[in-house]
Amino acid sequence: MSTATPSVLRTTLATLLSHYRRHPGQLAMLLLGLWVASALWSGVQAINASARESYDRAESLFSADLDRITRRDGATLTLDDYRDLRRAGLPVSPIIEGELSLSDGESLMLIGIEPLSLPGGAPLAQQNGDADALGNWLIPPYRVRVAPDTLEKARALENLPPFEIAPDLPPATLVTDIAVAARLLDMDRRITRLVIAPERDVELPAAFVRTSPDTLASPGQLADSFHLNLTAMGLLALVVGLFIVHAALGLALEQRLGLLRTLRALGVPGRTLILALGLELLLMGLLGALLGIVSGVILAQLLLPDVAATLDSLYDTTVSNTLNLPWYYWLGGLAITLGGLFSAGASMLWRASRINVLGLGQAQAWRGRLRGQLRVQLLFGGALLAGAGFLWWYLASTAGRQDLALGFTLVALLLLGAALCLPPLLAGLLGLLARYLPRRAALLQWGVADLQLQLPQLSLAMMALLLALSANLGVGSMVGGFRLTFLDWLDQRLLADLYVRPAAEQFEDLESWLNERSEVATLLPARNTEAELIMDDKNAGAVALFGIAPKPILQETWPLLETRNGHEAAWQALTSGAAFINEQLARRQGLGPGDSLQLQGPSGLVTLSVAAVYPDYGNPRGEITLPVSRLATEFKAPSGTLGVVLAPTGDRVQTLSRLQEAMSERFNLAEENPSGGSLIDQQALKQVATEVFERTFAITRALNALTLGVAGLALLTTLLAQAEARRAQLAPLWALGVSRGRLVKLQIGQLVMACLGTALLAIPLGLLLTGALVAVINVAAFGWRLPLHIFPGQIAMTVTLAVVVAILAALIPAWRLRRVPPRQLLQEFAAA
Amino acid sequence: MKRLLSISLLIVALVVMGWQLWPKESTAPTSYAGLGEGDDNFPQAKPGTMLNFPEDHGPHPDFRIEWWYLTGNLVAEDGRRFGVQWTLFRQAMAPPDLQQKTSDETPWASRQLWMAHAALSTPEDHLFSERFARGGVGQAGVKTTPFEAWIDNWSLRALGKDDSAGENDGSGFDHLLVTASGKEFGYRLTLDAEGPLVRHGTQGFSQKSADGQGSMYYSQPFFRVEGEVRVAGEPIAVTGRAWLDREWSSQLLGPTQSGWDWFSLHLDSGAKLMAFRLRGGDESGNENEDGSYLSGSWITPQGNITPLKPEDLNLMPLEYQTVAGREIPTRWRVQVPAHDLDVEVRARHPNQWMGTSFPYWEGMVTVSGSNEGEGYLEMTGYAGE
Repeated sequence: MSTATPSVLRTTLATLLSHYRRHPGQLAMLLLGLWVASALWSGVQAINASARESYDRAESLFSADLDRITRRDGATLTLDDYRDLRRAGLPVSPIIEGELSLSDGESLMLIGIEPLSLPGGAPLAQQNGDADALGNWLIPPYRVRVAPDTLEKARALENLPPFEIAPDLPPATLVTDIAVAARLLDMDRRITRLVIAPERDVELPAAFVRTSPDTLASPGQLADSFHLNLTAMGLLALVVGLFIVHAALGLALEQRLGLLRTLRALGVPGRTLILALGLELLLMGLLGALLGIVSGVILAQLLLPDVAATLDSLYDTTVSNTLNLPWYYWLGGLAITLGGLFSAGASMLWRASRINVLGLGQAQAWRGRLRGQLRVQLLFGGALLAGAGFLWWYLASTAGRQDLALGFTLVALLLLGAALCLPPLLAGLLGLLARYLPRRAALLQWGVADLQLQLPQLSLAMMALLLALSANLGVGSMVGGFRLTFLDWLDQRLLADLYVRPAAEQFEDLESWLNERSEVATLLPARNTEAELIMDDKNAGAVALFGIAPKPILQETWPLLETRNGHEAAWQALTSGAAFINEQLARRQGLGPGDSLQLQGPSGLVTLSVAAVYPDYGNPRGEITLPVSRLATEFKAPSGTLGVVLAPTGDRVQTLSRLQEAMSERFNLAEENPSGGSLIDQQALKQVATEVFERTFAITRALNALTLGVAGLALLTTLLAQAEARRAQLAPLWALGVSRGRLVKLQIGQLVMACLGTALLAIPLGLLLTGALVAVINVAAFGWRLPLHIFPGQIAMTVTLAVVVAILAALIPAWRLRRVPPRQLLQEFAAA
Repeated sequence: MKRLLSISLLIVALVVMGWQLWPKESTAPTSYAGLGEGDDNFPQAKPGTMLNFPEDHGPHPDFRIEWWYLTGNLVAEDGRRFGVQWTLFRQAMAPPDLQQKTSDETPWASRQLWMAHAALSTPEDHLFSERFARGGVGQAGVKTTPFEAWIDNWSLRALGKDDSAGENDGSGFDHLLVTASGKEFGYRLTLDAEGPLVRHGTQGFSQKSADGQGSMYYSQPFFRVEGEVRVAGEPIAVTGRAWLDREWSSQLLGPTQSGWDWFSLHLDSGAKLMAFRLRGGDESGNENEDGSYLSGSWITPQGNITPLKPEDLNLMPLEYQTVAGREIPTRWRVQVPAHDLDVEVRARHPNQWMGTSFPYWEGMVTVSGSNEGEGYLEMTGYAGE
C-alpha cells in the first residue's frame, strides 16, 4: 500500500469538500446541527459552571458551616450576650448581617464579622500578608471586602470604608469589621446572631438555642437537583442536535459513495481517505463547536439573570448575574461537541473504510438491509424500554430513599428506547396502511410505499421530533400540574388575612387586643422551633417543629395526604396528643399514620404517634406539626406569629388596612422591622410565593421551547437536503401525468402522516415522562410527590405543532418543485 | 523582657488574616525588622519614671505594647514536674492622639487588641492554647482594685487582701488566682507572694540598648503556688513557685536583631536570676563580640536587686536539639562571676514548643552546677528549615 503524501491528502480533502460546494444545504444542516447541539449544551453548562462558582464562593464564606446561636425567647442578641458567653468560656463569635439598599432597588448583603473570635478565621481572608492588615481592618478608616463582580454596585453606596478585593466572596456580599457594620446598619449594641464552630461541644445556658447549619435548609442539595434538571435539558438538546448531525453525515456520505470509490480507484490509499474524512469531521466540529460555544455563552447570559433570580428566591443562594467561566468550561464544551460529532461520524468512517472499489454500480445498496436494521432497532429499543420499566418498578418499591441519578437514568432509558422503536413502529404502521388502502387508490399506495422507502433518511429527524415533542409534553404537564397543586396548596395554607409577628414581650398584649376587636373572626397563633428526632434510639438529626391552633377553620382547609381513620379522627388525635408530619419526613424516615416517633426536647424525650401526613411543597426540611400550646410548654418555642382571620363582613381591603393602622399605632409594628414585630399581608405573601414559582420554571420552559424549535429545524433541514434527490424520484410520476399540484399535495400528505404518527407516539411517551417526573424525579429531588395532571389542551397543541412543522418542512421543497421550470425538471429526471 | 511577644501581637494580623502565609514569614529574621522603628506618636519609656501601685498593675493604653506574664514550676505529690505559662498581651493599634473614638462609632470600635497564651508542660508533653479579643467590649481587659486581668474565661485575679510579705498596695496583687483551659488541659492555681515586687534596671526602667531605648519592667518572682492542673480530664494536685513579669514599652526591636533568649531562674539559695540576650544587634556600644546585647538582674532572697551589665554576665549555648524543624539550644552555661554563679541550665525536655500564631520555645528548665534550682527559659527567632 502506498503511503499518503501531504499533497495527496490535500487533494483528497479538497475533492471531498467540493461536495459541499454543490450541496451548500447539507453543509448548512451539518453546521446547524453542530451549532444547535453545542449551543444549548454549552449554554446550560455555562449557567451551571457559573452558578457552581458562586456556590463555592458562598460555601467558603465563614458563616456557611458554622452553628448558629440565638435566644430561645426570640429576643435580639446584644454585645452583652456575646461578652457574657465569652466570659463563660464559650467560643462564640458575633455576626451582624443586613441589607444595604441600592438606588435601583437591588440590595447588597453586608456582613459584619469579629475576626478575632471568628472560628478558624482563615477563609475570611486570603490576605496579601502584610502585618498591618489586621490594623487596617480593625481601626479607622477600616476596610470592606467585596468580590470583583460586586465592586461596581458597591461603589454606589456612601459611607463605606476603602475596598479590598476578595474574589472568593459570594456575589452581592460585603464583608467588614463588626464595628463598621453596626454603624452602617444602625445596630448599636445589637447583633444578628452568634456563631460557633460545629465541632465545639459546649454546654449552652438554657436561654440560648444552637442550630447546626445542616438542619437549616440545605441549598446545596436542592440547588444540585435544579442544576441536574438543567443538565438533563442540555443533554436532551445535545442529543437532538447530534441526531441532526448524524442524519446530515449519513446523507453526505451516501451521496459521495461514488466519489469515494472513484478516488480509491484513482489510487488514493484507503487510510488517506479515512484520514481526509476524519479531518473533514474535525474541521466541521471545530467550526460548529466554536459557533455553538459562542452562542451558548450568549444564551447563558440571556438566561442567567432568570436562573440567578430563581435560585435566589428558591434556595436563598446568591448566584452572580455575570458569567464567570473557568478554563475547563471551554475545553469541556469543545470536547463534548467533538466527541458527539465523532460518535455520530463513526459509522460514516466505518462504512467509508469498507467501501468496495468494485461496487460502483451498487450505490445505495445498503438499503436492502433496511428490514434487518429495523428489527435490530426494535429489539434494542424494546430492551431499553424494558429496562426503564424495571427501573421504575424498582424505584417505586424502594420508596423513600430514591436516587435522583437513577431517576434521570429512567427518563433517559425511556426516551432513548422510544426513539429507537419509532422507525420500526412507523414502518409497521405504514405496512398496515398499505395493506388496507383500497387497491384502486394507486397514487396513495405509491405514497405509502414511497414513505416507507424514505424512512431511513427521515427516521433520525423523526426521532429528534419525538424526543422534543414528548419532552415538551412531559415537562409541560409537570410544570402545569405543579402550578395547580402549588397554588391550591397555598390557598389552603395561607388561611389568615394577615400575619403578625410581634416582639416576644408584646405577644400576649397583642393577642388579647386582637381578640377583642369585632372585625377579627379567629386568631391562629403559630410557633416554630426544632428538636432532635430519635429513630430506633439513634439521633436522626434535627427536624422542624410547627405549632398550629387546631381551630375548625383550619381543620376545614388544611390538606392531609394520609390519615388512619379519616380527616376528623386525625384532628381529634392531634388535639389529644398525636402529631402530623409532612410528606418529606414521612418519605425520608418511612413513617406513616399509626407509627410513632421520639423527639429530644429541652425537657426530655417526647414520644408522639403520627396521626396524619400532610403535603408541604417547597419545604426542604422534615417537619412535625403539633398544637401550638404543646410547642410552647414542652419545646420552649419562641412566641412566633399570629394569623388574623377577618370576619366575612364589609370590604376586606378596607378592614385590613384599618386594622393594620390601628395595630401599628398601638404596638409599633411595621412591614419591615428588624428589631420589633412585623406585619405581613397574606396577599403579598401569596404573590411572592407565586413569583418564586413562576421563576422556577421560566428556564425550564425556555429550554423546552428551544428544544422543540431545534427538532423542527432538524426536520426542515433533513427535508431540504433531500429535496433534490426526491425530485428525481418523483420524475416517473410526473412522467405518468400526475400534476405537479398533486405531487406537492402527496408530499405534504406523506410528511404530515409521518409527523402525525410520531406525535401520536409522543403522547403516551410524554405522559409516561410526566409520570416519571412527578412520581420519581420530584420525589427524589424535593421529597414530595405531585398528583398527575393531564392537560388535553396541551396535548392537542403539541400534535398541532407537529403537523404544522411537517407542513412547513414540506412546503419549501414543494414550492420549489412548483417553481422549477419543466426543462430543468426534465434534465434532473433524465439524470436519475 | 519578652519583646518577642509584643511583636507577636502585630503578627496576630497575619494569624487572623491569613494563617497559611505566616510560617513562611516567621522564619526570616528580617520579617520583624520593620518593627524596630520607633513611632514618635507613642510615648516612650524613660528613666526617672517612678512606678506607682496599684495603678501600674493596670493597663497603660498609650504605650504600644504591654504584658502580664506568669511562668511557674510545679511538682505533683508523686514527684512529676509540671510547668505553667499564663500571658496576657495588650497592643495599641493607634497612637494616643488617634485613639479617641469618633462620635458615630459603635461600642465595637476599639484601638486596643488583646492576645493571651496559656500552656501546661507535663513531664513528656506540652499543651497550649491562645485567645484574641478586641478592647472595649469587656471580653478582655485589666483592672486594678481589686486586681483582675482576663480574656474570655481565663483570668488572673486578686483572691484577698495584700499582706506585709508583698507590696501591700491595696490591689490584692499578693494573693492571686490564675485559671486557664485549653484543649485537653487546664489549671487553677493560687499564688501567694513571699517577697516584694522587684523593679528591674533603674527603678523599673530597663534599658535595652546603648542609645537609651527601653521599657518599664517589674516582677513578682516570689510566688508560692498551690492548686490543681488538669491533663486530659485528670486532676492533679500541685505545689511550686511562680514568677510574674510586668512590662510596657513603645519601642520595638532594632532592625538587625534576630531573636532572644530569656532566663528566669529560682536558685535553691533563695536568690533569683533574670537574664537575657538579644541576638544580632548593631555593632556599637555595649553589645558583646557576636553583636548580642546582654542584661539581667540578680535578686537576693530578700528581694534586693542588682542590675547586671553586659560584662557581668555570660550566656553560652552548649547543645542544640531539633525542635519543630529548628535547631534550638536546650542546654546552656550561665555565669555571673560577681555572685559566684556558674551553672548549666537544661530544658526538662525539648518538646516545649509554643506552636501559636507566633511560634517560640518556652519551657521549664533545671539548674545544676555551683547552684541547684529550676526556672523558665524562652527562646525566639530560631529559623526553621
